[in-house]
Amino acid sequence: MNSQRLETSRLFNRFGFGPRPGEYAQALMDGTTQTRIKLLTVPLVDMGAAAVKEPEITDLGKRPELNTTEIGPFVVALRYQTQQLIIWWLDRMAASDNGLTEKMTWFWHGHWATSIEKIKHPLPMYKQNKTLRAHSLGNFTDMTKAMLNDGALQFWLDGQENTIKAPNENLGRELMELFVLGVNHYTEDDVKNISRVLTGYQVSRNGDVAINQNRRDKGSVTLLGQTSSFTGDSLSEFLTARDEATTFIAERLWYRFISSTQAMPSSFTVKNAFADRSIAAAVTAMSSDSAMRDKKNDMAKAPVEWFISACRALELTPSNLKSSAQLIKYLTKLGQVPFLPPSVGGWPAGEAWLSSATAQYRIEFATWLIAQSNLRVLKELTVEQRIEKSTDWLGVAEWSPRTQAALGTSINNPQQFALLALCSPEYIVNA
Amino acid sequence: MDTLTRRKFLQLTSGAVALGVAAPLLSIKEIAQAAIDRPMPPGTPILVIVTLYGGNDGLNTVIPYTDPIYFASRPDISYKPETLLPLDSELALNPSMKGIKALWDQKKVAIVRGVGYPNPDRSHFSSMAKWQTASPAKNVNTGWLGRWIDTQAEDPMLAISLGSVLPPLLAGAKRSGSALPLGGLVIPKGSLAAECLMLSKSSKNDSKLMAAAATSMRNLFSISTNVQPLLKKPAPTPIDLPTINGGNAGGDSNLAQQLDVVAKLIAAGSPTKVWSVSLGGFDTHANEANAQAELLGAVSDSLSRFMGQIKTTTRSNDITVMVYSEFGRRVVGNGSQGTDHGTSGPMFIIGNSVKGGFYGEQPSLKNLYKDDLAVTTDFRDVYATVIEKVLKSPVEPTLGKWAGRINFL
Repeated sequence: MNSQRLETSRLFNRFGFGPRPGEYAQALMDGTTQTRIKLLTVPLVDMGAAAVKEPEITDLGKRPELNTTEIGPFVVALRYQTQQLIIWWLDRMAASDNGLTEKMTWFWHGHWATSIEKIKHPLPMYKQNKTLRAHSLGNFTDMTKAMLNDGALQFWLDGQENTIKAPNENLGRELMELFVLGVNHYTEDDVKNISRVLTGYQVSRNGDVAINQNRRDKGSVTLLGQTSSFTGDSLSEFLTARDEATTFIAERLWYRFISSTQAMPSSFTVKNAFADRSIAAAVTAMSSDSAMRDKKNDMAKAPVEWFISACRALELTPSNLKSSAQLIKYLTKLGQVPFLPPSVGGWPAGEAWLSSATAQYRIEFATWLIAQSNLRVLKELTVEQRIEKSTDWLGVAEWSPRTQAALGTSINNPQQFALLALCSPEYIVNA
Repeated sequence: MDTLTRRKFLQLTSGAVALGVAAPLLSIKEIAQAAIDRPMPPGTPILVIVTLYGGNDGLNTVIPYTDPIYFASRPDISYKPETLLPLDSELALNPSMKGIKALWDQKKVAIVRGVGYPNPDRSHFSSMAKWQTASPAKNVNTGWLGRWIDTQAEDPMLAISLGSVLPPLLAGAKRSGSALPLGGLVIPKGSLAAECLMLSKSSKNDSKLMAAAATSMRNLFSISTNVQPLLKKPAPTPIDLPTINGGNAGGDSNLAQQLDVVAKLIAAGSPTKVWSVSLGGFDTHANEANAQAELLGAVSDSLSRFMGQIKTTTRSNDITVMVYSEFGRRVVGNGSQGTDHGTSGPMFIIGNSVKGGFYGEQPSLKNLYKDDLAVTTDFRDVYATVIEKVLKSPVEPTLGKWAGRINFL
């Protein structure tokens, strides 16, 4: 396989949501270094993302009692706003000129995975999304502080139930296990003690967080060997400064950007780059790490990644697709809807997306998308060019002989050609 | 949002799970013919695994209703003795488990008490990975039944998980089980079908992931050709489950529908020896009592309905159901009317061939181990028994040398 094509394809798909028509071919001419700089440099104003209208997400008020006249309109508004929220984010992913910010926000959403299924109200989820975006390439310590003050996360992990009288370990455990340190880097006593530090948080319906001092345990605790009267901020500083956090975050980046099947090598340059907790530095280091050129490190596209990359290639805007409800149904069937991760551990990766069921849903979904695209790029290619040039269109390094043979049966049928291409192993999996 | 169906959460947050390398290519015709040629002979044992995601509170499932420490430890969330379903003079079932109580009275339920593994891990993800890989001490990337699948001849219908995401339980090194979504699969038709089948061929330079992508397409054709006609009947209305509490640790929410499909396919002779279904929502850190009772009610009602459905088939004596969760919960309530992550819990083994009764020692509430329930039975004792007695297979390829067995079959 041509190594420049491979690395370029990875840069587009791992650090963004795939190329738009023309971008991949241009990148090959620009060379890998130029392409890397371009894709890893976030513009001050991203015109594409800026053109996406913010959703109107409001405080819908307290849920009315059942069997009242208010409950109907309330539920309708709740569903409508939730749908708007999901579609808005998908639009941003599809429309961004530079995909890195949205890709990083998406990564952090899976990291601090919070589901609207429990939060119910879209407003706190919207606020969390903005927090994640604001910190997506910033400082991890600051991000952790911000997330402890995030209403949706606190509510999701029962933070508002955690009081000096009645400690609740849910948030404390996951903070160490899933968000900052990684599993097994703490004792069960640490879980009990960190939960004391995290007492007193109260969450309002619109997602604002306040601390009720009467419910807060202000005593000093011993955490990972250090005794102190921690606050949320000092706890964030203490935890994120630990060496385990370096390795853990490097591993999470490796797992989502480089390979979900190969183990992270100790030489992964992200570990050094993350020394001062700069996420941008870690991501930049990752983009030029030798692992980016290692053939072993292919990645299955998660359903949202697959869908957005298809939208970009097909020149489709999620909010313009006929029926947002239908769009969300397809994503639901594939097992991935933004704001609805299956658990606090986030979404699975790799082979989990490659079941016979997802194969079917992907075909249905792609058929629906293709019917709404004019397939401009494909139709502009001559029949003879289609197999070869469709790789550039879709940002695929190369087609296998198997896929070439399948595509060859449909060179005169652009719809079917596009369908086979989008459902081919080489498109579902980023080589 | 009406998209409340939960997806199985996988262990993949901390490691990878290997799935099938490219299997030999089968054509639709061959597979369809095979299904007609080889329906599973009656008398072939079938295992149905029920995974309860989130950590089911064992102490409020099988309840020590005459032990004053139980009531003293969790005043907010203990049950009044008169509401319970007594099993003997010490233990009773949760009031919502009437269906399982009826099966218990027919001696069809074995309850294995205090089940867990050494050095309990209180992380949902690590603990579920330990249960599903059956490797508590070392991370491995194959599931215990995946390793069993590896020892069997390739057959996409051998082990099937309901839902579109495959649990690590069924991931082998060479092959894996198949995923079947509720509602069945619709295969492409006409020329598109032929071309999709071309895409499903393995290619020489395929990476493992690309091979898995091709295999998934191939399995789509084989499974759907065989089982699609059976799934035409409408599924029963899903039980309305609580989603507010206990809702952040994964699992599906439509156990009754899943088991309904399993019952139909078993009745039709699907050559499937292992079925995997799941229910989520057991992570009851807050306001536990109602939430857990509803969930246990769903488990009990859908299992008793399932046993009723298969009673009318020739396979009623072939089926063994195994129910487990990744851990139990703390003895002492947490003050949010809930419980935090704990250690051991009961397992249920249900079937006509099961020797009903209690197995394993009930963990003492008086002598806690590090403030938690002791583990009195290793889950591998249960697995080993199931592998030998239900799957009729040697234990070693799946669990290594493991001596423990339990006499419930």
